[in-house]
Order: sequence, then C-alpha cells, then structure tokens
Amino acid sequence: MLPDFASIIAETKEEALSCLSSLERAKVIAGGTDLMVKMRSGERYDHIIDITNIRELDGIAVKDGVVVIGPVATHARLGSDAAIRENAPGLALACSLVGSPQIRNMGTIGGNIVNASPAADSIPPMLIHDAMLTLESKGSSRKVRLEDIIVAPYKTSINTRELLGPVEITSLKGYREGYFRVAKRATWAISRLSVAWAISEEEGTFKDVKLAIGSCTPMPFRAVKVEGLLRGEKRQPGIIAEAVRIALEEIKLISGIRPSFAYKLPVLRGILENVLGGE
Amino acid sequence: MKTISFILNGKKTVVEVRDSETLLYALRERLGITSVKEGCEIGECGTCTVLIDDEPHYSCMTLASKANGSDVKTVEFLGTADLLHPLQEAFINSGAVQCGYCTPGMLLSAYSLLLKNKDPDTDDIREAISGNLCRCTGYIQIVEAIKDAAGLCKHNS
Repeated sequence: MLPDFASIIAETKEEALSCLSSLERAKVIAGGTDLMVKMRSGERYDHIIDITNIRELDGIAVKDGVVVIGPVATHARLGSDAAIRENAPGLALACSLVGSPQIRNMGTIGGNIVNASPAADSIPPMLIHDAMLTLESKGSSRKVRLEDIIVAPYKTSINTRELLGPVEITSLKGYREGYFRVAKRATWAISRLSVAWAISEEEGTFKDVKLAIGSCTPMPFRAVKVEGLLRGEKRQPGIIAEAVRIALEEIKLISGIRPSFAYKLPVLRGILENVLGGE
Repeated sequence: MKTISFILNGKKTVVEVRDSETLLYALRERLGITSVKEGCEIGECGTCTVLIDDEPHYSCMTLASKANGSDVKTVEFLGTADLLHPLQEAFINSGAVQCGYCTPGMLLSAYSLLLKNKDPDTDDIREAISGNLCRCTGYIQIVEAIKDAAGLCKHNS
C-alpha cells in the first residue's frame, strides 16, 4: 500500500502552479514510474499533483531548428516521434531503450530529468543537444541549461514550488549522431555505461564534435575538453587516442578511482575509439 | 476519495477510489477483476499489466485516478470460457501456460502487439513481451503461441 495523500488532477498549468505555490509537502507526478516506487518504500507527501492531463505540457514541435518537447511526453512517444528521430536520433534511440514497453508508455522525459539518475538514458543525448529547460513557478519563470540543473546524483536545483515546463533541444541535422549503452540485459536494465555523440565531419576533418558520457560520473557530463581538442583536427588514430585518454582522465578526476572502472574504462575506451574513428 | 468514470472492458464504469489507491487495487478490490495480479509492485514483473487506450501499462504504478476518462482493458475483454480469443487458444495449444500467474499480463501485451502489427516476427514478439516476466515456460512456447495466434487472426480477418 501507498502512504495516504490527497491528489489533485491539474487540467491547466495555472492550476498546477497555484497548488505548488501554496501547498506544503506537495509533489508533482506524471508517469509515476520512479515516484510510485519511492512512495511505496516510504517517501511521504501530503499532496500529489498529477500533471499528465495538462495539454500544453505534452506534445513535440519543431521551430527554427529547435525541438520543443513537452515534459509529459512519454519515452514511447519520443522513441517513435518523426521529429525526434529526424532531429535527435540518438535521443529517440535512448528513449526506446528505457525500462520495458510498459515503463516507456508511462515514464516521461520530464520525469527522467527531475529524477536525475546518473544512469538516465535520455540525459546524455539531451546534453549533446544543449537542452534548455524552462522552470515555472507562480508569477515567474526561468530558463536553465540541463547540465546546470543536476547538482548531485538524484538531486536537482529545481525548487519545490517550481514546475518543469518545455524542454528545448537544438537540432543537429547533418551530424553523425548515436547513442550506445552497456547494460546487464536488454530490458529493465540500468545503463552501466552510456555514450551519446554527434559528429560533423568534412573531408576527414572534425568540424564539430559533441560527446556526453553517462553512468561513469555522479551526473552524466559533456566531455568538452575532448570536443575542443578534436574540433578542426584531421580524423586520424593519434588524435583519437589522445582524445580518449583525456576523456578517461576527466572521468577519473571527477569520480576518483572506482572499483567498477577496472571494467568500465577499458570498455569505454573501445566505444570511444569506434565512435570517433567513424566505425 | 474521487469518483472516476472510465470504460472497463467495453463497459462504462463509475467507481469511487481513494486518492492514494493504485489502479491494480481498484480493479481487484472494488471491481472484482482478479485476473490482474499483484506481483513485485515496483514495475518489474508485468503481471499487473492492463491496457490503457490499448497500450500496456503497469497498474501497480498507476494511480486509480489516472484511469478517469480512459479506456481500460483486462484479459476479460479478450475472451470468455465460451469463446476464447485466438491468443488464448494458442497459449493453451502451445503449452504456454504453466502456473498461469503471468498469463493475463502476457496475453494483454501480446494483444496490444497484434493490434498494431498483424505480422510480427520473433524479435517484435520478444520486444512486446519484454516487460512481462515468466518464470515457468522459458518464453519459447509463449513466443510460438503469439506467432500462431497472429497467423490465425490474419487468416480470420
């Protein structure tokens, strides 16, 4: 059984913001795939505000190279949506690997962000697309970069009065984009290691490289040092080896030496060599 | 408490539920639909699977209030003892049922697949039932049954 709470089914954003502004111990629910488990294991709230019916928080639209994703759009939707597959194929792939079919029909992109798991599949692809979040509270609104909002594993700087609004990602059409993860099994598996990339090349030279790595550090991160090193360089084994070395060093610097690294880092090396080498 | 109104197995249903109640609880305890099973209660076993708007969902992680205004189907919708659904026939004929605890959820995931894909291959079937655990059969008979049923459904339509 779940602990008792009162629930509010918000039909508009204003209703949700009004409730969030005044109710104590209130929590937003969408798909519930994380929150229901936490509540069952004892996390308590007095008020649960269901935002799934709010139309303006749903849907996917593309305008001027920016894809605007409603936070209650499900993983199933993102995995199959034509605009996401065209403008952010790595994100579509990552969402189609989350949990199981049932979890993908329920869990939302907004939920994946606010849950802030180091292993969240959707976060590395959103990082390479420079995801920008809108956070709204009654009477105000702010825009924050995704990478600035996650402050620790499972912890964000979103305050309890705020509601996550649209997620904006930039299209990377023309880039070679992908997502690769290592997990113990195909379904219901938590990513042990994940890499999202988007690379644009011209005649064997890296014009632009975007690279994000998940499940190795407390928060998935953009490997900006590697990106800077490769930009403008010819794609050849020497520079790729140097790029991989820098990526692994950065992970060790952020996380320290972890027991799992005896396995993870050699595997990551192989993945990065393939990704950057164009295989 | 909340009064929710939804379509359950093709029939309009109105029921009063607690705010903190799951759809699984409401179906079993208030509406007598005991084919929907309680398993892990954390969305990992799939025996509580129901179809909401024809897509599989875990009813153990769905608040009952979320069903308001939607279309919910359980295995009772598929067939009765008098007239089984081809999927149910195929499950019996293939030996895809052993203890039976996963079967209602498994049938619903399979049914949802066949609504979208009349001619699924083995990979499509394995993917569609990947959110439902079976600890008896080893899945081979289940996959075969779904394949057989797809053939039968196609033949009949």
